[in-house]
Amino acid sequence: MDVLGDLAGGFSTALSLQNLLFAAIGVTLGTLVGVLPGIGPALTVALLLPLTYNFDATGAFIMFAGIYYGGMYGGSTTSILLNTPGESSSVVTTIEGFQMAKRGRGGAALATAAIGSFVAGTISTLAITFLAPVIAGFARSFQPADYVALMIVAFVSITALIGRSLLRGMISLFLGLFIGLIGIDNLTGQPRFTFGLPQLLNGLDVVVVAVGLFAVGEALYVASRLRHDKEEIVPVQGSLLMNRDEFKRSWKPWLRGTAIGFPIGALPAGGAEIPTFLSYGLEKRLNPKAPWGKGAIEGVAGPEAANNAAFSGVLVPLLTLGIPTSATAAILLVAFQIYNLQPGPLLFVNSPELVWALIASLYVGNVMLLVLNLPLIRLWVKILSVPRSLLYAAILVFATLGVYSLANSLVDVLIMYVIGVIGFFMRRYDFPVGPMILGVILGPMLESQFRRALQISQGDLTVFVSRPISAILLLSAIFIVVLPYIPRLFGRGQRLVFGSGSDD
Amino acid sequence: MTTEEREPRATPAGGLFGPRLAATALLVLAAVLIMSAFGIAAGGGYSVIGPATIPLVVAIVLLALAAIFALRTTILPDTDLAASAADEERATHWPTIGLVAITLIGYALALDGFSMGPRVVPGLGYVVATGIFLPLASRILGSGSPIRDVTVGFTIAIVVYIGFTQFLGVRLPAGLLGLLL
Repeated sequence: MDVLGDLAGGFSTALSLQNLLFAAIGVTLGTLVGVLPGIGPALTVALLLPLTYNFDATGAFIMFAGIYYGGMYGGSTTSILLNTPGESSSVVTTIEGFQMAKRGRGGAALATAAIGSFVAGTISTLAITFLAPVIAGFARSFQPADYVALMIVAFVSITALIGRSLLRGMISLFLGLFIGLIGIDNLTGQPRFTFGLPQLLNGLDVVVVAVGLFAVGEALYVASRLRHDKEEIVPVQGSLLMNRDEFKRSWKPWLRGTAIGFPIGALPAGGAEIPTFLSYGLEKRLNPKAPWGKGAIEGVAGPEAANNAAFSGVLVPLLTLGIPTSATAAILLVAFQIYNLQPGPLLFVNSPELVWALIASLYVGNVMLLVLNLPLIRLWVKILSVPRSLLYAAILVFATLGVYSLANSLVDVLIMYVIGVIGFFMRRYDFPVGPMILGVILGPMLESQFRRALQISQGDLTVFVSRPISAILLLSAIFIVVLPYIPRLFGRGQRLVFGSGSDD
Repeated sequence: MTTEEREPRATPAGGLFGPRLAATALLVLAAVLIMSAFGIAAGGGYSVIGPATIPLVVAIVLLALAAIFALRTTILPDTDLAASAADEERATHWPTIGLVAITLIGYALALDGFSMGPRVVPGLGYVVATGIFLPLASRILGSGSPIRDVTVGFTIAIVVYIGFTQFLGVRLPAGLLGLLL
């Protein structure tokens, strides 16, 4: 068993004292930002990128993976106790979770979320372990045309399935593509969209864009409504444990949630939001007797397992194909590039130690999160009582710090603020920001693969449909665009919406 | 999975002012980009697709999308958007936004100073600028505990400054603190 040998090697790296420490820092930070509404793992990793230039790659990625998972765990706490989803993928959890909290079963809701996340995370990590090398092997036969098709699928799925308006999603995506094009063209050295400004020749750093959109945009948005919105925190009452009945009602939704979440996350049509809605719908259908809308534990257990499984699933296309399918994955891709690592089929050949240490750290991180979350829930809840005014002022401080420490450049900071203002208006008028980030990061990759594909085919555009892989991928892209409108074709139904697309 | 909720809503006329401005900004941006894309030189060497093609495609699609969006804010109004924009408008406290933005720019300028033509304005340095900005921003956002905010501000500033400059090897401007030490 080759995989087991590799995994054992990974564990020996991940279990070193230094890497355990990195994992612990990662999961703690991740839970913290997950609990705090408005800041998520994408922003946190973006902010930490400039700081990790001096770290060794393995340690940095173990920490990032911890933040990634921790954000998921923490998000459920906010959903359940505050009725405000900490992350967009925990929106569904608020429905039943907050009701449970109001009825004094908040502890049980948090417990089923934490254990469900652990179960889903562990099963999904097992799936990654055995699936990723296979897919990476398969992907070695991919041609530039296939990558172009794959990226189109990623674009289409994040714009068409997430967010309330396809039009606004597309605008967001194309704004991102524009930002990605700023700077010198890699192939010919021509400056593009620089408007004569020498500061733009190197393009906009993704960190500048991500921090501007996620941190400053969000902080300005909250600032604008702070005097208007009031929050209600439900204290955790009673036992933090599930009773026998609650456990019996939870374990099947955990497994079903995992089964829904992982494959959807792993498809290049991923994201963690869609499976949470699907899982909620499925549990509702399978358990008609549960007290839906009044705190049905199935409605917390299923979606929470689904979102963790999907989060793990997203790592499959990221590691094996180099295609991010969520904003956080896109930031992780940038992190890889900073370390001169190109995720994709060759990552498993070129940097096996890093990949396997990363996969092993996912097992470790999951255990840590379970240990960290269940007993410390009361502590995390305290964090929710940090005054919003102070919290958002501090977010602005850290956003400025993160961008300033990139290159000690005032211009970078001011550009980041401008992007923050754009992000504020996008949030205000319900433009999803996810497509924009994906456009900034994937746009340049798409262009270079597209040009390479046409170079190989000598300008023949049919190369995208004559290869079976890319033809199938493009067909599925069309299917994804049409999918939300299917209910409308059959009667009076309306366009399906799978979440707000505000964060991940 | 949910379907879009549609509640009965009031007349949307007022709500579309903001989206109209956004549409105008997008149209102007797209037009500027198209002109800019035409100005991209072809570059040397043979290639099937030059450096200008994709930028031009992106700019033209953006123009088309912006035009459709403009239609959705005028003759074919998107009532959902109008209603949500009107809700936003009611909830928005513009002075807060303006003050936060101004303070934020002031903070960036105060970090390490800036030059205006021949004049160089010295900065306050990281610790002092942050120690002032954080409580100020918190106050603007509605905090009523200035002493707590100042304490938190300077604590964060000092911890970050020492941590970054001593342990992470990231340079942060010393400013006034540099004069003291």
